[in-house]
Formats: sequence, C-alpha cells, structure tokens
Amino acid sequence: MFGYWDALYFIYVLVIGMLIAHMLSRWAEKVSMGTRRSGDGTKIFISGEDEEKVIPQFEHFRGYVTGRHTMWGLIRGIHRMFLIFRREHNGLLTDYVAYLLITTAVVLGALVIWG
Amino acid sequence: MNVLPFLIIVPLMGAFSMPLSSLLGEKARSAWAVLVSALTLAVASKVFYDVWSTKQLLVYTLGDTTPLGKGVGFPIRILWEVDLFGALLALIVAFVAFMAIIYSLEYMKHDTGLEKYYTLITVLELGMLGIVITGDLFNFYVFLEIMSIASYALVAFRNDTWEGIEAGIKYMFVGSLASSFILLGIALLYGQYGTLTMSYLAVKIGQNPTFVGKAALGFFIGGLLFKSGAVPVHMWLADAHPAAPSSISAMLSGLVIKVGGIYALTRIAFSIYGTSINIKTVGWIIILFGCATLIVGNAMAVIQTDMKRLFAFSSVGQIGYILLGIGIGLAAYGTKVGDIALAGAVYHIVNHALMKALLFLVAGAVLHQIGTKNLNELSGLAKRMPFTSFAFLIGAAAIIGLPPLNGFASKWLIYESSALFNPFLAAVAVIGTAFCTAAYIRVLFTFFGRPSEVVDNAEEPGKAMMLPMLVLIVAIILMGLFPWQINDKIMLPTVDMLKDQLHYVAAVIGGA
Repeated sequence: MFGYWDALYFIYVLVIGMLIAHMLSRWAEKVSMGTRRSGDGTKIFISGEDEEKVIPQFEHFRGYVTGRHTMWGLIRGIHRMFLIFRREHNGLLTDYVAYLLITTAVVLGALVIWG
Repeated sequence: MNVLPFLIIVPLMGAFSMPLSSLLGEKARSAWAVLVSALTLAVASKVFYDVWSTKQLLVYTLGDTTPLGKGVGFPIRILWEVDLFGALLALIVAFVAFMAIIYSLEYMKHDTGLEKYYTLITVLELGMLGIVITGDLFNFYVFLEIMSIASYALVAFRNDTWEGIEAGIKYMFVGSLASSFILLGIALLYGQYGTLTMSYLAVKIGQNPTFVGKAALGFFIGGLLFKSGAVPVHMWLADAHPAAPSSISAMLSGLVIKVGGIYALTRIAFSIYGTSINIKTVGWIIILFGCATLIVGNAMAVIQTDMKRLFAFSSVGQIGYILLGIGIGLAAYGTKVGDIALAGAVYHIVNHALMKALLFLVAGAVLHQIGTKNLNELSGLAKRMPFTSFAFLIGAAAIIGLPPLNGFASKWLIYESSALFNPFLAAVAVIGTAFCTAAYIRVLFTFFGRPSEVVDNAEEPGKAMMLPMLVLIVAIILMGLFPWQINDKIMLPTVDMLKDQLHYVAAVIGGA
C-alpha cells in the first residue's frame, strides 16, 4: 500500500496543474482579443475593471496576460461544453440505439486491430 | 453445509409466494417481504463469511455433486461458483434490497398493486444474486434477463404518469438490444468452444485464442457498457432511474448497474479471458470509456433541476470512476498499481451502493412529504426536515469524497493509482470530482437556503422511511472510519481472488 499522504501524488498533481495552467494561458492568449504582452513595468489588471490597480503582493507578476482573458476563455469553453452535452441528451430512442451500435462497433474494431 | 443454493431458493420462493401472502392481508404481505429479504441477507452474510474466512471458492453443481460429466474430464452441468468478489456483491445486494423493502413499507403505502411490487423487487434481488454467483455463461444470461425484466417493469410501475411509461419502454427497447449483443457473444463462444462453463471456457480460450473469441468479447463489452450506464450509452439511465419509485431507484443506481454491468464485465475480462487476450487493449478501452463517463456524467449532474435526475447523472459519473479503476487494473495487470486500482474500483462499488441508496432514499422522502423533486422549489428544506437534510449532507459529502467518509478511501485509491499509471487520467478524475462537488453543493445550498412556501408545511417522514436512512448513514460513517483496515482485510483479498484465474479454473476442473 502507498502512504496516506503520498508526496509523489502531490508532485504529480502540481505538475499536472501547472501544465494545465500553462496550456490554458496559451490558449486564452490565442482565442481572446487584445492580449497585451509588454515588458517590465506593465501593470496587472483584475478583469479590466480598474486598470490602474496593481494586485497587492503580486507586483512581481509583470508582463503576463491579464486574468480576464483566461477567465472569459474558460467560461466560454465550459459553457460551450455544457451546450454540446445538453444538445446530445435529447431523449430520442433512435439516438440511444445509434449510440449503442456505434459503441459496440468501436469496441469490436479496437479489439480486432489491437486485441 | 453449503448454503449457496439458498441464496436463490429463498428469494425465488419468497417472490412467488408473495401474491399468496397478499391473500392474508396487507400486513402479512409486508411482513413476508421483510422476512424473505432478511433471510436472504442472513444467507448472503453466511456465504460472504465462508468465502472470506477460508479464501476458497464455493462451488455448487445443480443436480449432482460434481460438475464433471460421467467418464469425461470436463464440466457439463450448470454450476454456481462464488469467489470473494461475488460474495461481497451478494452481501451488498442483499443489504441494500433489505433497506429498500423496509423503506417501501411506508413509501409505497398509498400505491396499489403492491403484491406485484414486492414480487418484482424480490425477483430483481434474485436476478442480481444469480448473476454474482453463477459460473455458467448461459445461466448468467438467464439471471441477467430476470434482473432486467424486473427492472423494466419496476421503472414503469407508477403508470399514472407519462414519465415512468416512456422511460420504461425506452429502457426495455434498448436494454433488450444490449442483451441480444450479450447473447450473441455467448452464442459465438459456444459455437467456437462448445462449452458454457466459464472456468472451462477460460481453459479453452487460453489453449486456442481465436478471432471469434475476440469478437465475442467485443459484443460482451458493448452490451455490458450499456448495462452499466457508461457514456455514450448512458442516456436510458437518466430517464429510467428518476422515473422509478425512489426505493427502486436506490436499487437501480446502487446495485443493478454494478451487478448487471460492472461485475459481469470484470468477471468476463478476468475469469474467462484473463491473459489469453491482449489485456492492455481491453484495459485501455475501458479506461477511455471510464474517462468520458466520469466527465459527462458529473458535468450533466451540475445542470439538472430535478433532484432524482441529478442523482442519476451522478451515478453515471461514479460508474466512470469504477470503470477507470477496472481499466487500470486490466491495463496494469500484475503490477501493484493495477492491484490498487482494482481494489479502489471494488471498494467504490460497495461505497457507491451505500451512498447512492441513501441519496435516493432522501429524494424519496422529499418527494413523499412535499410532492416535488424540483430543486427550484425546495429552498430551505433543512429547517423543516432536518434529519432528511442531514442524511443528504452525509451522502453528498461521501460521494464527493470528503474524508473521513467512505467515498474518500475508494476515490483516493483510484486517484492514486491513476496518477501513478498515467497522470493525465488523474487530472481527468479530479476534474470529474470538481463537477461532482459543484452539483451537490447546489443541492446543499437549496436545502439550507431561505425557506420557500412549498416547504412551509413539510414534516419528516415516518420511522419506516427514516430507519433505512439511519442505517445507511451509520454504515457510511463506520466504513469511513476504518478505510484502510477494510481495504487490507476485504478489498485486496478480493482483488487477489479475482485475478487468480488458475484458482477459479481449478475449483471446477479439479472436481470440487
């Protein structure tokens, strides 16, 4: 058995978390509008409401994208995901049958190729 | 004395004598239903204890003392074969069914046709017990159909609303198609290898693995993923489970999808196919379906306004964790990570049966006392129904995986093993839990919010409904207090027996 608080687990979680944060940040830069990447001395804005406000204790975070792009990108992404899920759950019997046939076909295909 | 046959005899006799007991009056019928399910629980406990204490499989041959034919060295008779995994599931089936029947005494009091109801609920229990003890593939199919047909009928039991009938018909139609895939798989294996005994099939497939054998496994996996409610074949579940009476929803979500889907899948993958197929591929197929299931199930739970539908989607999400554990158990077969994942999956099967039974009983209490399950109308319920709200709080905290409740231990094992197997899988599992937390916190805010007019005159339900909830709360808390002891003493030995295909085969071929 592994330990109750397995340090390795937390390292994994931290690495995964940082990777996700980085990917999210890159993606947010790409999809959002007007992201500014500037040099030293750039202020960090919270959601763009008060452009003069530097986040206390976070003055060293300079030159990175502002939080609002990540926030709105994430919100839009999750919203879109829910819309897709909702659209698929339409309660149609024909769809239920179709999904069953597709699932069985996919499993059969995978087993035939790699089984 | 081998008590194994009584696991079928007691509920079978009980179910068919239920209409007769109804002739003696309502009280006699209720007492008979409770007595039958209590006796079944006692037999299941004895079977579990026997297997657990000896770590030996229990084998019973129908109509003879040995499964082997006269003058031949292979089994020809129907046999029942129980290892610790089967015995554990038999125990949990009998326990939750007992709770559901006690709960029904009050919950179903105002319904008509109760002799049919109690007959069907006992037949449902019988079907599940049959699945977990059988060692014969066609016998497995017969019990699967007994369980499924009882489920279809119970989903549509309250036929005064469109919801139950529509859900029942959809469930029956697609469920029959899934069953026919399973039957096709059995037919292919019988045609190819000429036997239906699972342990002997394992030998034959091991000696001569064929394309037909692979195709049969594909049909089994397709049909059984449907029965377990995995994405994308989960949509029937979100219709059927909320439409059934809540005591039945507790059994459907807590037991049926696990016994009829997950257990069968695990048994076929480990005990029949074992190492005679590329087990890593099978594992990864199950892992991918597991990941999709835990994300979609938990995410869909977040946006529900119907409390029972929310719980049904949450069941889909939790099945995702179990599939993930089993998939890793297969893909990392023979390693410590695989063992831990499998132990986590088996543990989560037991835990989720208790948690989801409790949550559906809570939903039933709310529906019974207030007449609505719409979350938008249930604000402030905690002031009027404090015990029911407390029961929900325990169930929700356990299902999210909050220590020190039982859900934490099993989810921890699954997170831990998936992080060690593939960190990406652990990230998916954690995202699923984030959705799960969001879904349950919404209900919690509703219950503990400002009281609305609808809940003004609400009262706690009667003792027959509160007692099963109390027992389940105690079980959840107790199991949460000793997670690692339960894991070491029960779950890991269960995994060892499940993986030991040689032992499974030798118990039959050796003429046990």
